[in-house]
Amino acid sequence: MGKIFRYECKRLLWNKFFFGLLLVSLFYGWQVLSGVTILGVSHTAPFSPWSFGDYLCRMVPLLWIGALFFLTFFTSGRARRAAVLTDAAPMPPRRYALARCAAALAGTALLALACLGEAAVFYGWYFKWYHWSTLLLPALVTLTPPLVFALGSGWLLGRLRPWLIYVWMPVPFALAALPLPEALGLWNGSFFTRYPLTLEALDPAFSLPPAAAAAQCVLLAAGAALLAARARQGRIRRQAGEAGI
Amino acid sequence: MKMLRLFPLELRRLLQSRLTWLILLLTVLSPVLGLVLYKPATSTTMLSMYLANPAIAGGVAGAILFGLVAIFELDRARRSRVDILTDAVVSPLTTALTRLLALLTAAVLTAGLTMLVWLPISAGLIGSVFTGANYVLAYLLLMGLALPLGILAAAAAYQFTRRADLSIVLFIAFCALSLTVWADDWQLCWLNPCVWALSDDFSNFRVFRSVAWMRLTWLAALAGAWTVSYLCIRQYGKGIFGSLARSVRRVYRPVIAAALLACSVTAYAAQPFIDHSNPDLTVMSFYEIPYAEGVTFLSRSAQVFPDTSAGTVTGRASYQFQNTSGQEQSIFFGVNPGYTISNVKANGADVPFTVSGYQEYNEARLEVTIPAEEEVELTMEYSGFPQESLPTMQGGKELSGEYLCLENSALSPRVMNVMPGEEGYPAVIEVTLPETMIAIPFSSSQAEVISENADGTRTWRYEHNGAGGILYAGDYVREDIEAGGMTIQFYYGRKHQAVMEEAGAVEAVKAVVDYCTEHYGTLSFGSGETLKLIQSRVAGGGYAVGGASLLDEADFTIANLGDADKGAIPGEVFIHELVHQWWGLGNMFDTVDPTSPWSSEGLTVYTTYRIVKELYGEAYAQEHYVDQWRQAVDDYYLNFYVRNPEYLEVLPEAVQLGISNSLSSVRRYSEMPLKILKAEQLAGGEEAMDQILKGLFNRELDPMYPYLTYQEFLDACHLTEEELDLG
Repeated sequence: MGKIFRYECKRLLWNKFFFGLLLVSLFYGWQVLSGVTILGVSHTAPFSPWSFGDYLCRMVPLLWIGALFFLTFFTSGRARRAAVLTDAAPMPPRRYALARCAAALAGTALLALACLGEAAVFYGWYFKWYHWSTLLLPALVTLTPPLVFALGSGWLLGRLRPWLIYVWMPVPFALAALPLPEALGLWNGSFFTRYPLTLEALDPAFSLPPAAAAAQCVLLAAGAALLAARARQGRIRRQAGEAGI
Repeated sequence: MKMLRLFPLELRRLLQSRLTWLILLLTVLSPVLGLVLYKPATSTTMLSMYLANPAIAGGVAGAILFGLVAIFELDRARRSRVDILTDAVVSPLTTALTRLLALLTAAVLTAGLTMLVWLPISAGLIGSVFTGANYVLAYLLLMGLALPLGILAAAAAYQFTRRADLSIVLFIAFCALSLTVWADDWQLCWLNPCVWALSDDFSNFRVFRSVAWMRLTWLAALAGAWTVSYLCIRQYGKGIFGSLARSVRRVYRPVIAAALLACSVTAYAAQPFIDHSNPDLTVMSFYEIPYAEGVTFLSRSAQVFPDTSAGTVTGRASYQFQNTSGQEQSIFFGVNPGYTISNVKANGADVPFTVSGYQEYNEARLEVTIPAEEEVELTMEYSGFPQESLPTMQGGKELSGEYLCLENSALSPRVMNVMPGEEGYPAVIEVTLPETMIAIPFSSSQAEVISENADGTRTWRYEHNGAGGILYAGDYVREDIEAGGMTIQFYYGRKHQAVMEEAGAVEAVKAVVDYCTEHYGTLSFGSGETLKLIQSRVAGGGYAVGGASLLDEADFTIANLGDADKGAIPGEVFIHELVHQWWGLGNMFDTVDPTSPWSSEGLTVYTTYRIVKELYGEAYAQEHYVDQWRQAVDDYYLNFYVRNPEYLEVLPEAVQLGISNSLSSVRRYSEMPLKILKAEQLAGGEEAMDQILKGLFNRELDPMYPYLTYQEFLDACHLTEEELDLG
């Protein structure tokens, strides 16, 4: 399985798409950091968890698109044609699907890490600020659920119709334009600009209201469930194929 | 030749695709987004709301959709794995060019269809101020030109990467940059032009020229990028560099690419619209130039010839100085950075002059050396396209056959370091305008026609006393109003006559003037007690001088008339500017101290609040004034950089200045009015404050220092500075 994972990672990451996406993300990220985040949000410092979260929310659409594009490596017509051969390999399809999931996750995580690293460089460069551990929680809360959900839902849609992945790509942009309720504020970034103002404290520590935490948990669980279902579906397909159904 | 044969086939194929028709339909519908969702033009004029916003939204959506279609079409052969076959039949270079032309033609058809569909809708929404010229220009520039930009950007991305996924990411990121971090940079926001307002009553050529410049800059840049990507189209089984090496063998191809890119860079660097004034608004070095020793000002004259079709100005200025120093002296003038100075002569002989690269408050510094003669007549010529300072609020220097506004150094070079003579700075200005325009000096002076010229123009002349001076001209209607013991000459655009009458603008002016006269006292300008009130093109604010105030056209729009909250008088900017006749001009204030919130704005904003409270009711005034001041002041005190100034100092200078400028205006426009409101409560209420302000307005002035100070205000209220702390 490790061999397949390494092979899929190489296929996904060692190509001009990944490097192009990385460059685009870094360029866009720097523009956001130096144009918007530098002012700080909701009266907090540019390096507060709130401003940092706002930066991440602005990056999520790009990371979301990147994650979905990784999936097109596995769901495109060309990949489906090759699946006839890979399905014939002496490897349980569940493990094969898991290796692919892990590779897509690794690619998405690498992109996200690049954005986080860029912010760390920015904070060090401008403000000589290095307390990165305080930013860990907002990063996890902001990035993990939507990106896992992007992979899970994208995989499901890609299995149904490969072009549905492309339809799914502009979803974060649509969410950004919609007036979502406070509990879903993390989905369009409004949480980081509105919620700290309700805490009635200067430079409040990062906290998450239960409703928003629940929304993120649901999103994460839905994403994980869809990924798990995908792996299970692979196994059933294989068994059905062996039974000649 | 092959391309000409293939083009109709490719276009027909494109137009037979259902996807193309879907994109076309969505693009035609997309201006509706500008009515409900995406509204970058923030002004409340009818053309901003119902023409600029739909056209910009249509351009954004259309460019994105056509960009995606371009990638989809270019990737079609590769996706279907027939590229090897098609490349063997037709050169991939020919195919790419043919597809581009077909896509551009489809974009042109879409733009034309959108204009047809939206014509009756826009005319109905905009009402009486709708004009065909504004409509066509807005849709062509704000929407139409966005579509080829989207196609070129997306096609270039695809031809470089040869991958649909990567080119989509590149294209989306490029669009997102324009819509977010570049949105306030008028040259970089290629997708969504920086248009904050379109005028209902006057022309919009300045804004349209600026958008056209940005669009053409990007068109050259993206056409250049596309041409480079065209050279990189893979052929003969070679990679990107091998294909490039093969394609550049025909020398004209790289030459075209280089020429397009060079044009774009030149257009970007040499844009004629915005100056390079120091962004630090606290620096006023031009006011600190020491007076030339022994030189006094006798008089000046200027002949100004605006070219209303080109938007440029040509002029001759003449200055009479007395130089008793017996030495050559350097005289400094402020000139508009867009002007070129020539033919500078002193007493008929050429004299040396230089124009500084440094600019401040929309002026460059012209230095002229005058000879060591007692009487010096200095003459010079100037010409050019007047530049402005605010890239996100362009349109202030509109110059057309319908409207012009020439302020200070844009009218004629402003002398900066010469002491006034016994009569001050007497000036005679002559301006030649089309016969449909009337000249209105922004002062107590009156202009009169001195000649009617054979070319359909009239030359106007007026006298003025001051180193600078502002001139308005346009197709105006004048109405005289008696109020507050004086005559108010109310000038407004002819196109706006019906709206002004329906809005009861005359009654509004009377109500404001009567309020201020009753509460503070009568005005005196020393010119027969005449006050001019001039409607300007939408400017997002205003100003006032002794004897003249501005009224922004956005104060009285058709939309405002329907706003029931605002009662009988919709305009608040004009109330503010009229009140400046009492606070700021009737009673003068010293130069603004950046560390103090005290300025004429505090009392003016407070008085505007009181008038609004009387006219619209307490609830409206509380919500739109007091609550907003409090919010702004709270935000100010809580601002991270106010609390931690050490972090502000480490930021790049441009960011530092942006933050500090916005913070200082909060102090003058929000903190000070709130302090005065607190003073009102401590002093015993509104009537007590009215008596205090009346006393201050009519106080005996110290001729050596006639300015109203914060300490005088505190003394009159019997309060201390600490008592007015808002913390």
